[in-house]
Amino acid sequence: MKKFKMVLIMVAIGVSILTPALGGAAEKYPTKPIELVVPFAAGGSTDVLARLVAKYAPKYFDQPLVVVNKPGGGGVIGTEGVVRSRPDGYSLYMGYGSGHDLVMPHFQKLPYKTFEDLIPICRLSVHSVAMVIRADAPYKNFKEFVEWGKKKPQVTASVSTKAGSVDITFQALGKATGLKIVTIPFRGGAESVTAIVGGQTDIGANHPSEIISHIKAKRLIPVGVALEQRDPALPDVPTFRELGYDVVTVGSVKGVAAPKGTPPEVVKYLAERFKKVCEDPEFIREMKNIGQPVMYQGPEEFAKYLKDGFEQYGRLIKEFNIKLE
Amino acid sequence: MSEFLDLFQGLISGFGIAFSPVNILFALIGALLGTMVGVLPGLGPAATISLLLPISFKIGSPVTSIIMMAGIFYGAMYGGSTTSILVNIPGEAASVVTCIDGYQMALKGRAGPALGIAAIGSFIAGTIGVIGLTFVAPPLAEFALKFGPPEYFALTLFGLLMATLIGEGSILKGLIMVVLGLLLGAVGLDPISGAIRFTWGLFMLQEGIDFVTLAMGMFGIGEILINLEKKLSTELVSRKITNVFPTLKDWADSKWPIMRGSFIGFIIGILPGGGAVISSLVSYAVEKKLSKTPEQFGKGAIQGVAGPESANNSAASASFIPLLTLGIPGNAAIAMIFAALLIQGVQPGPFLITERPDLFWGVVASMYIGNVMLLILNLPLVGMWVQLLRVPYAILAPIIVLFCCIGVYSIRNTVFDIYVMGVFGVIGYLFRKVDLQPGPLILAFVLGRIMEPALRQSLLMSAGSPWIFFQRPISGTLMTFLILFILFQIVRMAWKSRRNKGGDI
Amino acid sequence: MLLFICGMTIYGSINLSMGSLHRPGPGFFPFLLAIVLALFSLALIFQNWAKDKVPLPFWERHSWLRPLLGLVILTAYAILVNSLGFLISTFLFLLIWMAGIERLNWKTIIMVSIATTVVLYLIFNLLLDVPLPKGILAK
Repeated sequence: MKKFKMVLIMVAIGVSILTPALGGAAEKYPTKPIELVVPFAAGGSTDVLARLVAKYAPKYFDQPLVVVNKPGGGGVIGTEGVVRSRPDGYSLYMGYGSGHDLVMPHFQKLPYKTFEDLIPICRLSVHSVAMVIRADAPYKNFKEFVEWGKKKPQVTASVSTKAGSVDITFQALGKATGLKIVTIPFRGGAESVTAIVGGQTDIGANHPSEIISHIKAKRLIPVGVALEQRDPALPDVPTFRELGYDVVTVGSVKGVAAPKGTPPEVVKYLAERFKKVCEDPEFIREMKNIGQPVMYQGPEEFAKYLKDGFEQYGRLIKEFNIKLE
Repeated sequence: MSEFLDLFQGLISGFGIAFSPVNILFALIGALLGTMVGVLPGLGPAATISLLLPISFKIGSPVTSIIMMAGIFYGAMYGGSTTSILVNIPGEAASVVTCIDGYQMALKGRAGPALGIAAIGSFIAGTIGVIGLTFVAPPLAEFALKFGPPEYFALTLFGLLMATLIGEGSILKGLIMVVLGLLLGAVGLDPISGAIRFTWGLFMLQEGIDFVTLAMGMFGIGEILINLEKKLSTELVSRKITNVFPTLKDWADSKWPIMRGSFIGFIIGILPGGGAVISSLVSYAVEKKLSKTPEQFGKGAIQGVAGPESANNSAASASFIPLLTLGIPGNAAIAMIFAALLIQGVQPGPFLITERPDLFWGVVASMYIGNVMLLILNLPLVGMWVQLLRVPYAILAPIIVLFCCIGVYSIRNTVFDIYVMGVFGVIGYLFRKVDLQPGPLILAFVLGRIMEPALRQSLLMSAGSPWIFFQRPISGTLMTFLILFILFQIVRMAWKSRRNKGGDI
Repeated sequence: MLLFICGMTIYGSINLSMGSLHRPGPGFFPFLLAIVLALFSLALIFQNWAKDKVPLPFWERHSWLRPLLGLVILTAYAILVNSLGFLISTFLFLLIWMAGIERLNWKTIIMVSIATTVVLYLIFNLLLDVPLPKGILAK
């Protein structure tokens, strides 16, 4: 009898130990806060997007979203961190589709495979490349700028990083217009905006979120966007295609990704909830205010969009023979 | 005249806002946090503010959160000098200069006066900075915009020159350290060309060496290693600790350095990027030049603390100007505040004053209050800090090492940085043995990372012509000044060595 | 000391080879600096040659022992902190340092080690929200 009791107790203990482990798997995701990794420094446009999303998340997600910054290597370090993390849906990469995803791989080898090691969850916004000129410049739109530029040995353009999406776009434009555009890299979007506002360069380009306050203040005039269609954040600004130059990019795409191996139910859950956030009118309004239009896309469309964007950059680089010096 | 009245009106309403209990509370919290953060090596105001971003929107009101963050920012400036003086470890780049004379004063038992003067000077400077912010913000901000790569190059070159001069000991050694510092600054991703330099394949080095790691290593660990050589079972300060507060003479000596420092700091502080560091350097050099006892500098001259500390505090106040008037963040910490505002739906920019006067004036007013608060907080603490030096070095040493480790770790959450710090510790230790001072190296490191890109950007802008530096009014003036200055120095040196032959250069 | 300066010059020359790329390109600046460094180092050596009659001993007797020990403990700490976790590693660090290097009495050592570890933990982890490695204790 005693032995039987012992066995019973052992079984009971065994079951109670195992159940949480099994139950853990059977319990609905998510059961603890979800980490949103931003591979850039706090304060940048991706970071602000992440925090804004996190602000509205409690309305639609069952667990809070926690923003974590892991800057370094132009975005590679933080992304790599997510790639190597456990694919349980608790560590997500915010910013999928940025420069280091779509442009950098054409020039360098990364320590992970951008498209194979990550599962796209959804697209949140697109940060286009928008060209701006100073309001008091001797040219008032892109056409005039080109004419003005043709008379000079070179024109200077401020860009946020060498070989980033902006830089590539300028180089392509240079070849398309016949102007000699010398890109001057600064350390990040903020510095390059300061440069063009201060008139240090002839033209500049940034993402709308970086320049929207200056546009409102009438210091900068946007003259063109390198996008397939007009950017909702700058609806009055023509695309370069409209202006006659076939320079189209996807800009810097901001989406969410999870490491390879994340269960499909988790992906589905996340995609749905993010969609709900993107449909929230307050969220849309706030995003519009800061110049980041809400452009949701689900996992399959997003995946295709990314691939297309990546190839598009590749074509641009080949066609215009853009090199990293 | 009516503009003046408008300003006053704004200011008064700002005070009304700033004096609300909630805002005062958060200003206090911010100041406290900032001081702590400034004292603790590693964590800087930028990192702290970014950690607090999520809390900032729980607070609800953007005015309150920016008040708190501003408190953190200049609190950190106050705190940064504490470790510089006490243990020769700069809390952040702007405090490096304070190490030079501050630490010497501490070793002589005068840590109290050093800390006290630093606090008082910072207060006065901070207040002057805020006054400047109130009255001349917009036009000065426009001026700051005119600073492009050539101007930055000229300015940092100037700063670099100062850095060679401030080291005690031979100028040649100072120069060597500067060059080394510049080389170290080149490690990592080159922003201009995209090429990766000097990383030996280590991905961790791609962003370059972090200032904190370098500073902790060379100053902190290096210092400890050197001290370990002697069996110091007693206190660090062998002499009796004299009065805890600055004497009247100290005050008299420091009056003008504080004033000058405040102005220098304010003007240079408006410039985005590196304002505080350069201003503390310039202030030190100015004080040394103007002093009647320049030999004292490097051995514990109180002006060497008063000037730079004031400079970096008014620079801190000034760095808010581009943010509040133009919507341009001047450094990492301000960039965080910028982001926090964005998330709360406020757009920093030229319209901030008119659209949200409550925010603008509320913040300005709270900066006045914050400065006062910090002074009240810090002065009594001076006594406490001085007591810390009484702790036997045997116990203090490992604790300091730990602080450095944690501080360094907290930057990127990797142990790798601790290793790097260790390496620099050894290097710093060896350097000290051959009488090479780490100060110029670290300053060159910071300045170099601004200077080299600025140089290359300028050349890109001018399509290779070096004349660009002289064609633009501001950089032209600076460069001319620089050249004259160098010529002057050479002449002086030649003259001097003619007088005493065979001396060290 | 002379040996050390020689070391510096060698360092400078290594840089010369790593830095040479085309003109105002990434290699330009380091290259320039390396040359300057080499020149300065030579100047320094020269200066000392002319002066020094009696070279001072670099290290007196075994005075390098303690710094080395400190360095070793530091490295060990760095290696172990991730696996053992902050609390344990820090405690051990302090313990070993004070016992091995400073030779203090055990009472002091234990008290300080505990107190410091706790205080540091409180300040960094709780107050400032800095993530510290959990190591073994995480389970």
